[in-house]
Amino acid sequence: MRYMEISKLQRLLDLLRQQGELHSPVLGDDGVTRFELLPPGKLPDLAAIRTQLPPKKYLLHPQETILTYQADAGYRVPLATVPAMILFGLHPCDLAGISYLDRIFLGDEPDQLYLSRRAALTLIGVSCTPDEFCSCRLYPSPLEAWYDLFFQQSVDGIAVSIGSPRGAELMKILDDVMEERELLLPEDTRCFFGRKIPLPPESELDQGLPEWQVLAGHCIGCGACSVCCPTCSCFDVLEFGGLDGSSAERLRRWDNCLFRSHAEVAGGMSFQKDRAQRFRYRYRHKYRGFGQVKGVPGCTGCGRCRAFCPAGLDLRALAGKLEGDAS
Amino acid sequence: MKRLRVAITGLTSCSGCQLALLNCEAELPQLLELVDFRFFPMACSPATLESDYDAALVEGCLSMPHEQELLLSLRKRSRYLVAVGTCAAWGGVAALKNDQDREQLRQQVYGTDSTAALETFSPLPLNAVVQVDATVTGCPPEKEELIGLLTGLLKGSLPTLISYPVCTECRMKETLCLLTERSALCLGPLTLGGCGALCPALGVPCEGCRGPVPEANLAEAMEIYLQKGYAQEAACERLRRFCPGWRA
Repeated sequence: MRYMEISKLQRLLDLLRQQGELHSPVLGDDGVTRFELLPPGKLPDLAAIRTQLPPKKYLLHPQETILTYQADAGYRVPLATVPAMILFGLHPCDLAGISYLDRIFLGDEPDQLYLSRRAALTLIGVSCTPDEFCSCRLYPSPLEAWYDLFFQQSVDGIAVSIGSPRGAELMKILDDVMEERELLLPEDTRCFFGRKIPLPPESELDQGLPEWQVLAGHCIGCGACSVCCPTCSCFDVLEFGGLDGSSAERLRRWDNCLFRSHAEVAGGMSFQKDRAQRFRYRYRHKYRGFGQVKGVPGCTGCGRCRAFCPAGLDLRALAGKLEGDAS
Repeated sequence: MKRLRVAITGLTSCSGCQLALLNCEAELPQLLELVDFRFFPMACSPATLESDYDAALVEGCLSMPHEQELLLSLRKRSRYLVAVGTCAAWGGVAALKNDQDREQLRQQVYGTDSTAALETFSPLPLNAVVQVDATVTGCPPEKEELIGLLTGLLKGSLPTLISYPVCTECRMKETLCLLTERSALCLGPLTLGGCGALCPALGVPCEGCRGPVPEANLAEAMEIYLQKGYAQEAACERLRRFCPGWRA
């Protein structure tokens, strides 16, 4: 088994930096841990249970131009060359979140912006210790926690696994800091992903459940649950005319199914008039999946929606009632 | 291309929203190609009302009879009337004392022996008097919103009002949540977004300057403020600074 002593972490990071822009969880002066560029000399925050935003921010920007129009050039997708980027320190739930987004954006008609960014990413996972908000243990997921390399932390050091040809290539470059050791390691949270689980029940969720009203009554509509969710990828589409009078651009901006505007259509009509209905919709998507991810629960158990909700809302109790604890 | 014929004026206000447009210095030359600012007393003279406009952009609230006349006149002459800024949309800071007796307020400000006739009434948002076709809120609105409003009008479209609060943009920017992490009296959850959560990103709690978000859950927000140790009245007072309509 390939193994690295923790004292060699700084050297490892330097080697990784030669392969692309290195991003990892970094503890900010304000106390927020974010995925961001890791400057030389700075250590990643590997103790953090979760970053505020998941790595989806690298694949789908909170707001971005997806189409431009110019009288002479016509319609264009604003594709730019994406430099190679290494994300170091992804927990299995976030890796599973990326594989969920892959299903949506790299399916039948790949999203070109997503594809170009995804292709530039090297994913390096790190094992973690779940806290009281995490639910990977409660709801094992069929989503694969794909990675190129995975670093399993233990008291002795770090055991490294290879998950892809790209990871195998990278491992050759990292050979300097690695050694061979026989280690007996306990299972880490990777074991909760890529599992064969029974399909969620087909039955419709009861609209009359009092829980929808209770959740709606406490929700302040801040949007944190979806903004911080590793798999929430609904977006709103907006168009703006340019200052030259003829050009235009189309933007997409992260959206939340609990917002009034999410299910609103022309004429001010809405498919989900009140927040209680929207909670049922949100629950259905997160725990049962529909559309192209039918039967695939979209919750990876990262705990962000609970940890960052100002009202302390938690869907897990309801999930326990409706789905049962799979553990 | 036919230029958009626009009237821009301010009623009771600080003129900051009009200034925000004039501050778009890099864009003004191009804007002038597209927009014919027919009536814009703050920026160009002479300023006399003409027969009709494609759009009237009005800043400020109504507090004087002559403002009401001007507003009605602009409404009659304009295809679209847009409320620009928090005062025009919600009443704003001028309406801060709307719940108090105006005669007493007059005496506090001008003294009991003042005989000066003050022809004013309790400040009102524009939609209390005329039909408002669109609203661009903010104190002042963001530059992009003002330019977007004009380029949109040029294509015959009105801006859509954002329906999410400041919190959403705060989270998108990955800013520290001042409400949950610092127990600050931050009005983010109740306040319309669109500002890019500028204040919280600088460590300053949201003051609510853009007015109430649709479907604001005041009861739950109050519950959270109470848990953080703020009295209901303190929270309400802050809410009413920009929108007198807030009642807990």
